[in-house]
Amino acid sequence: MANTNLYQSLSLIVPEIVLTIALLVLVTADLIFHKDKKSIPFVALAGILLTGYFTLIQIGNYGFAFQTSASAFKHYGMFASDPFSIFFKVIVIVSSLLIVFFSFSSDEIQKITDRIGEYYALIFGMILGMYFMISATDLILIYLSLELLSLSSYVLSGFTKLRDRDSEAALKYLLYGAVSSGLMLFGISLIYGLTGSTNLYIINSLIQSPDVNLFTLAFAVILIFAGIGYKISSAPFHFWTPDVYEGAPITITAFLSVASKAAGFALLIRFVKTTFVSYTDPNGMWQLINVFDWKTLLISISILTMTLGNFSALWQDNLKRMLAYSSIAHAGYILLGLVVFSDQGLKAIFIYFAVYMLMNLGAFLIVMLIANKIGSEEIDDYNGLGFTSPFLGVAFTIFLISLTGLPPTAGFIGKLYLFIALVDAKMIAVAVIALLNSVVSLYYYVRVLKHMYLTSPTKDTPAVSASLPNTILVSALVLATLVFGLYFSPVVDAAESSLFILGL
Amino acid sequence: MLTEFGKIFIFILLAAIFVIITLFISKFVRPNRPTKEKYLTYECGENPQGSPWVQFNIRFYVVALIFLIFDVEVVLLFPWALAYQEYGIYGFVVGLIFLLVLGLGMAYEWRKGDLEWARPQPKPPKLDEILKTKS
Repeated sequence: MANTNLYQSLSLIVPEIVLTIALLVLVTADLIFHKDKKSIPFVALAGILLTGYFTLIQIGNYGFAFQTSASAFKHYGMFASDPFSIFFKVIVIVSSLLIVFFSFSSDEIQKITDRIGEYYALIFGMILGMYFMISATDLILIYLSLELLSLSSYVLSGFTKLRDRDSEAALKYLLYGAVSSGLMLFGISLIYGLTGSTNLYIINSLIQSPDVNLFTLAFAVILIFAGIGYKISSAPFHFWTPDVYEGAPITITAFLSVASKAAGFALLIRFVKTTFVSYTDPNGMWQLINVFDWKTLLISISILTMTLGNFSALWQDNLKRMLAYSSIAHAGYILLGLVVFSDQGLKAIFIYFAVYMLMNLGAFLIVMLIANKIGSEEIDDYNGLGFTSPFLGVAFTIFLISLTGLPPTAGFIGKLYLFIALVDAKMIAVAVIALLNSVVSLYYYVRVLKHMYLTSPTKDTPAVSASLPNTILVSALVLATLVFGLYFSPVVDAAESSLFILGL
Repeated sequence: MLTEFGKIFIFILLAAIFVIITLFISKFVRPNRPTKEKYLTYECGENPQGSPWVQFNIRFYVVALIFLIFDVEVVLLFPWALAYQEYGIYGFVVGLIFLLVLGLGMAYEWRKGDLEWARPQPKPPKLDEILKTKS
């Protein structure tokens, strides 16, 4: 019966339903409290906390929602709730929580208090898009959720309208996004033409037959990769990243660099794993179906991504731009975890993402707090700041060292597991290239420290001090970065228990 | 050996070639005596005035956007209206939720003042002011 099928599906998408209701409540609250909008951020906060709670109680309740009625493939649905998706959803919701905290004290967001309801509603739209993207196992749902995420983020990246570069960022994001989602749609239509289905599992079983047109399939897959690569800002599709990250409000930049990227990676991993892997052998290695050479494509793209990101970051004088290129480089490292095509690589991706969220959001938080005070993100304005504002200076140092990947910070653990996975898969050359890239990245991260600590402060150097809530927030992120660098078994355990991707 | 797509490609190719050949033949065969009237946009006596690239009032775009939302709503509601009875109360509730969400959008537009057609407020000229400026 179709009805019972739909009823059962509802229990699997509880977090998404809660998110939708929270979004509606937010819009309604915005309409009711027309004059005084002080309560809106707290409504958003409550919505995110509730969603987080329902995401966590979803652990253990796994299965397919919205199953197809075709009898041969009855147990495959459009939406998969599995440990893999829960892990990424937790990352998304934790970073959303932090972003709401950031927005409380962001100067840019304070200036648009009259539109704060739309701001949070659009953030909820983004979260909803990401949630569906992480769980989608059907090309139609993949495309829809990608668009939901993209459309909300186009608006948000130019939301403050304070400077010209905001609009520039939004327009550039929209244009690049339109092109890549068009390419992706073309790829999806080609795959549908080849196989007659949009369900990833059915496509998987159909492309194992020998009479599939390999050239068309490869073409379609590359087109779809263009759409996903744009979301994770991997190399040939990364051109929007620096401009958008520089122009968008810092809270949104931080959100895009962590949550949106996490959702993109979740989509890529699920797409590759469910569509192109025939089985997982006892050692945890994924056996690719011999129709498309994912390995070569992903290795070249990831090496290109991190090299381009790292070398471009060397010349940047704007910290947001520098962090944008650094996030491109990190996308390259994370892609290496997928290149391995094993459960071990997936575990490395999980660990890397958990760590990357902490340190990248921390770095953006410091940049935001300093920009609140001095109104600029230029590296020259940081001269001597380490002496006048010791707390933020030390915290920023820790985040930057962690982003480089040096012990005893969490960034080291992320890189360590990635390189172990690479070496275990006998891809030593790739590991060496990634290692050399980390050395390059050390230069531009330390350059900030040089400006902060090796230039003596003049009497014009402002002293930036954080308010009590921000001090707590920064300390929490710093502590997490340091603690996970030394005592990392909780992260590793969580990653290990989340390896299961439904269906194969 | 042609695939089915190959046949379609040949068909498209032939169609293009056919159009080009006919255009060329008619260009050589037909007489060519242009007059000023023949080059006008409308040959039926209407003289075009000004450029067609005029700027529309921004309010039209807001109205067009709102219209689009409710246009799409109708597209989704027609199949629902045909099929909801088969799903009983469940199908009815789903449609109701959809309409409620749309209604919220409508309320949003209303509250934010997008439905107000901001009228221009022209100042009618007053006789004594005109006389003052002239003297």
